[in-house]
Amino acid sequence: MTQPPSIPPRVKLGGSSPLPPDGSAMRDASLASSAEANHRVARPPRAWLTALIPILASVLALTLVVGGLSLLGYPAWGLVRRWVHGAVGNHLQIAASLASACPLLLTGLAVGVAFKSGVLNIGAQGQYLLGAVASVAMATRFAPPMPPQAIVLLSVVAGIIAGSLWAGVAWALERYRGVPIVLSTILLNFVAAYLATALLHGVLQARGTSAPQSAEIGQALWLPVLIKYTNLHVGVPIAFGLAVVAWLVLRRTTFGFEILVTGSNPQAAALAGMPIGRRRAQVMLISGALAGLAGAFQVLGVAHFMTSSFGNYGYAGIAVALLGWLDPLGIAAAALFFGALDTGAQIVEESSLGLPHNMADVVKAVIILVMLLLAGWAAQRRLKQRQGD
Amino acid sequence: MSNAHVSLFTFISRQAVLAATPMILAGTGELLAETAGVINIGIEGVMLLGCISAYLAAATTGSGALGLLAAIVAGLIAGSLFALVGVIGRGDQIVAGAAMNLLAVGVSGSAWMLFQNARENANLPTSLPQGAGFVAFSPAWADHIPFFGPVLLHQYGLFYAAVLLAILAAIALRYTRAGVILRALGDSPEACEAAGVGVKRWRFGVLLLAGACAGAAGAYLSIMRTHTFASDMTGGQGFVVLALVIFGRWRVWGLVAGCLLFGAVNSLQQSLQTLRYTQHNAIMHAFAGLPFELFQMLPYVVALVALAILSRSAPGPRFLGVAWQK
Repeated sequence: MTQPPSIPPRVKLGGSSPLPPDGSAMRDASLASSAEANHRVARPPRAWLTALIPILASVLALTLVVGGLSLLGYPAWGLVRRWVHGAVGNHLQIAASLASACPLLLTGLAVGVAFKSGVLNIGAQGQYLLGAVASVAMATRFAPPMPPQAIVLLSVVAGIIAGSLWAGVAWALERYRGVPIVLSTILLNFVAAYLATALLHGVLQARGTSAPQSAEIGQALWLPVLIKYTNLHVGVPIAFGLAVVAWLVLRRTTFGFEILVTGSNPQAAALAGMPIGRRRAQVMLISGALAGLAGAFQVLGVAHFMTSSFGNYGYAGIAVALLGWLDPLGIAAAALFFGALDTGAQIVEESSLGLPHNMADVVKAVIILVMLLLAGWAAQRRLKQRQGD
Repeated sequence: MSNAHVSLFTFISRQAVLAATPMILAGTGELLAETAGVINIGIEGVMLLGCISAYLAAATTGSGALGLLAAIVAGLIAGSLFALVGVIGRGDQIVAGAAMNLLAVGVSGSAWMLFQNARENANLPTSLPQGAGFVAFSPAWADHIPFFGPVLLHQYGLFYAAVLLAILAAIALRYTRAGVILRALGDSPEACEAAGVGVKRWRFGVLLLAGACAGAAGAYLSIMRTHTFASDMTGGQGFVVLALVIFGRWRVWGLVAGCLLFGAVNSLQQSLQTLRYTQHNAIMHAFAGLPFELFQMLPYVVALVALAILSRSAPGPRFLGVAWQK
């Protein structure tokens, strides 16, 4: 039951996806490292399909939701008009859309990088929440006597470290106890949510309130905004810059190449002598760091204080990652789209239509389901063509 | 149940069974699906869809039975949607499951807001109409049976259905042809196909069953244990079920034991939360200063610890999570 972590096959395969002693390699390939999963969400072979499938899925999903609501008696055209106007109607709305794309982009990158290397980190939500908590703790409670810029930097770093450590817990549970990361991260999301609320009820609670809510961050510690009277903070371009960096690392470096091979074909990676175990650990820490950074930016740049309900960007990041075919630049595009979708839906909810903003979540979910179907169809067609040759 | 003469232990045990019921229901369905090689991490979402469907149907028709039926139908629809993507379309099961969760959050949140608005406009009361929610059995004669009477007989009808389902599933997996096929689907789908068993058809069927179970579990939460709906009412139970299936090593009795254990930890932490204010002794005093979220966290920590202890020793279905392609 408790194998020491140093028996030969584990070391050779890098610890994280050991061949089980009963020889059921497939089980581990499926749940723990999930080469198959990676294959399933890999982009289709043809460039035109890469672009067409997400667009088709988005159009289909939007049509379904708008159509469904118009069946309930809501004006379809009025809904679409308000939604689009709310998303990109003027420069204020565009700035708001960009700002809400920021956490989606970072959690999307977190999920994307992890999935690319076959690490099924579903825990971006918990990592995001604890990143925000650590950041707000640093900014409101434990700020050292330093210039504000230094404290902001420290807060961001605190968020990154917290997210990374939380991801590290899931990694350690897999590495040393064989708990699949899919499961541990799901459960750790809930532990993180309760932990965050406990801290917001406890040491971080603002004076004069009984709600789980932190004090407001001093204005000197807010992330500077690029356009006045908007939330378009300096973290937004940084996030997009990170997407480019991630793209370059995956495309142009040995590290990136090893991550990709580890994900798509762990056996080949092991045979080639790649340090799979170390790569998985690094990927998990990077993934958690990105999600933690999303939390830090959100609290320092947009919310300026934290409550127990602080968005579900971690879960939405899974959808963002998939819509972008797990490719950093694709993820950036997907985050822009979902950010606009969210901002527009918020305006629709506040408008006379009074439709719930949750319909944006429905759109996202349907997009993913349709994409999985279309990608599966494309893969199957390719397989048939190959067999035909 | 007349609470006056019931001991604390009996009370906590009854609460544990109450809490375990939806997880036994949803868990048995998930266990069958996983045995057949399909993992549905969207079970939480299907439960949530069951919650909202049951509540809306019960509130609009005034009938609890129709509410339960609506939840089961919602579960069937959600199950077939997942199967369409994950089995027929060969989409990644983890991602499809995550999408199901997102879908459930969106659909239930939207439906709840629209319903509340409509109810407000029509000036209807904000509670379920009389008879639209289920109440637990409370036979007077059961009070005379020590412990087991209050714990096992003061329960909702769905508890007995869940127990029956679990027993049937355990027997079926062990002794019937269908059980052999289900296990083979997870361990060796190729052999199934060679023997003329349609892998996709069987997996689709078992996902329908799992969906119906999870839907009914949702109805239990919204129109039985409580007579209300809240957007976070499933509270991760569907995810804990995934851990408990592993905890039980893909065996029904193990799963049921895990559910009862989880229910016990949950009701213990709830009791601790209240006891620390009412009981004045040294132990409770030590607890009194802690935020109650730390208690709510406990069941998830226990689930993680259980996984950490047991994961290594539990080889699951060989092809769990792997799509089948002819």
